[in-house]
Amino acid sequence: MTLAALDEKVPEGTILAPDQKSEAMLRLLTCGSVDDGKSTLIGRLLWDAAGVTEDQRAAVMHASHARGVNGEKIDFSLLLDGLQAEREQGITIDIAWRYFETERRRFVIIDSPGHEQYTRNMATGASHADIAILLVDARHGVKRQTRRHAAICNLVGIKKVILAVNKMDQIDWSEEGYRAIEADFQKLAEKFDFAEITSIPVAALTGANVAARSAEMPWYSGPTLLDYLENVDPKTVAEDVPFRMPVQLVLRAADDFRGYAGTVTSGKITVGDRVVDARSGLGATLRRISIMSGDQPFATSGDAVTLVLDTDLDISRGAVLSEVKRRPVNADVIEARLVWLAETPFDPEAGYLLRSATDLTPVTSMSVSALVDFETLGSTPAHECSVNDIADCRILLGRATALDLFSELPFTGNFVLVNAIDGATVAGGVISWVQAGSAAADDVDENVLVLDRARLAGLCSDLGNSPAESTEFERRAQEVAILLRSAGVPVLIDTDQ
Amino acid sequence: MTVLTSHLKLLEAESIHIFREAAAQFRLPVLLYSIGKDSTVLLHLARKAFWPAKLPFPVLHVDTTWKFHDMIAFRDRTAKELGLDLIVHTNHDGLAKGINPFDHSPSVYTDIMKTQALRKALDDGGFDAAFGGARRDEEASRAKERVFSFRAPGHRWDPRLQRPEMWQLLNGRLGKDETVRIFPLSNWTEADVWRYITLEKLDVVPLYFAKERPVVERDGQLLLVDDERMRLKPGETPEMRKVRFRTLGCYPLSAAIESDAADLDAVVQETLTARVSERSGRLIDHDQDGAMEMKKREGYF
Repeated sequence: MTLAALDEKVPEGTILAPDQKSEAMLRLLTCGSVDDGKSTLIGRLLWDAAGVTEDQRAAVMHASHARGVNGEKIDFSLLLDGLQAEREQGITIDIAWRYFETERRRFVIIDSPGHEQYTRNMATGASHADIAILLVDARHGVKRQTRRHAAICNLVGIKKVILAVNKMDQIDWSEEGYRAIEADFQKLAEKFDFAEITSIPVAALTGANVAARSAEMPWYSGPTLLDYLENVDPKTVAEDVPFRMPVQLVLRAADDFRGYAGTVTSGKITVGDRVVDARSGLGATLRRISIMSGDQPFATSGDAVTLVLDTDLDISRGAVLSEVKRRPVNADVIEARLVWLAETPFDPEAGYLLRSATDLTPVTSMSVSALVDFETLGSTPAHECSVNDIADCRILLGRATALDLFSELPFTGNFVLVNAIDGATVAGGVISWVQAGSAAADDVDENVLVLDRARLAGLCSDLGNSPAESTEFERRAQEVAILLRSAGVPVLIDTDQ
Repeated sequence: MTVLTSHLKLLEAESIHIFREAAAQFRLPVLLYSIGKDSTVLLHLARKAFWPAKLPFPVLHVDTTWKFHDMIAFRDRTAKELGLDLIVHTNHDGLAKGINPFDHSPSVYTDIMKTQALRKALDDGGFDAAFGGARRDEEASRAKERVFSFRAPGHRWDPRLQRPEMWQLLNGRLGKDETVRIFPLSNWTEADVWRYITLEKLDVVPLYFAKERPVVERDGQLLLVDDERMRLKPGETPEMRKVRFRTLGCYPLSAAIESDAADLDAVVQETLTARVSERSGRLIDHDQDGAMEMKKREGYF
């Protein structure tokens, strides 16, 4: 039995849509400003679309009466707010993941907090979503926090957005009010790369246009929220993209088995194809794609596989295997747009590491050039950035790293910045420009200290040239680089033998 | 953003990716094995992630001595068949003090025999990372948890200070004295777990399948009389009923359900049409409101 065949197993009596098997799982983000009713909307959707079991229904009814904010009505948001502090304060602090299935598709709902101080949690949620519901309160329209959330959705690569104008009951189901907000948002969205924007007037509390068509808004002829979600195609990935597989681990086993384990992030690879290690440029032919249930002839994006090559490329974790023609850039300078996630502001003197795909590269220097203004959504020149800001920056890397542009290959074009001392994830970013090669000469003055084998000979006297020892050399060099950088010494790491 | 394919295949690939990221980044991981269906899937995915190499970490079972006999037999058989490096840890201090699920409240018993035992086992082994089979669909506070869930010294979980986790990038760089719990099954649902078990023809503890078993009904819950340690209240007489378990924990803290689902296909059918959530049979979760979050803050899985 294949994996796809199992999806056909559904309860007796269920009416299958003809396209049941091809209906992809949908990961859906809900965002918007605080008090616009996100948790209530999703609670309502779960309630109406049968994503709630009987004991959960009973618990919510019980709790609604005990401390709900809607008097005697059911408080649907109680289905989502899972932390004690959230229930006490009646707000959402962290993202909540909810799962439900309708007859047509499997949904993952990522409910994000609206409060500005929890924007970093919202960014986490957004990066996992295929599509976003951006909620606005019909009485207040688009707010600053709505714009910030839209900008973050855009940054992390979401292409399809639903503008849900909520609390329509509070403006007497006014078409005029709704159209004004819709027009406002369309204008704002011109700044972004969204491929599709769908607006729907709803009232989460009454359920209008959530799963059932609203009788109060005959002027609206579009889909209900659930209709739209069941039918939307989440695919945004272009068809002909080059093959990439960042190496997670080298697996060794009996009979001289040596394979490169990883998840294919883009494109397709077939046994017999040539692949190259992007950093060294060394090539080999793919001999086997080995998984526990047997070898397979090809692998495509999303597959977790182990590749066996005909020659040993001497590479380890962090390497990116690529097709021969269209390779990643061996970049040592990048420009990127990032969202700052840490409470501690950006500090040009701090030690940061760039975590891309499976690689970890020390940052030699970094500068901020502009911040996104959440009123106009334009850029304003700046040199600092702090929590919840979206910033454009330029990063000089301690060694060349195999990278792509985010707009072309998102999973080899994104990164997080890690604080080298405490390990915190301080920012998430997308690469907009890369430069290979002679960056050191252009960007670094001659005072830069190059950490190479010769300079670290004493510290690394126990290390030879095996792949494991080269990795260990690089690790030690990174730690030394972090120390030196925090002492104000600019450094570059040279791992060449 | 996700790459599209059949949803189980996507979940499988995501879990394998998580296992590999963790094995590459942590010094000394361990897999928490609790013998149930989720652990069965967890273990299977771990083997897939590193195949044909052996599992690069040991497997830990925290044995309260109150697991069903079928569970222990299944554990030992699995460990032998798969050649696992199995560590069994019991809180012997707790045993010596006579802590048991009859005389002590579920919260006291769970804290001493499970949470404290687990913390001790992790500290003793020097493990910096532990894989668990928790799913976000199980319970409200679990729905909030990250895949790499960082713990402050003392294994404390602070839900307000969770690390951002963006895209497929899992940052495993630990701060001083931090450890991490890793949840490769985060995005699986109960139905997914059963579908996958069917698909991959995995063996599970027989208690998941309906059979005539001796039970007593207490406070609306069906409790299995697994051995002579079961204390009957006045007027209670075990009777044979056709029951199975949706979730397995310690007896007598896991309740059975009446069911005719005697094989995998029937269990999958029943799960897909269930009207009651899975953990409603876990008596420890209902002790007080927000019970799971409190246990998690203290280091429970």
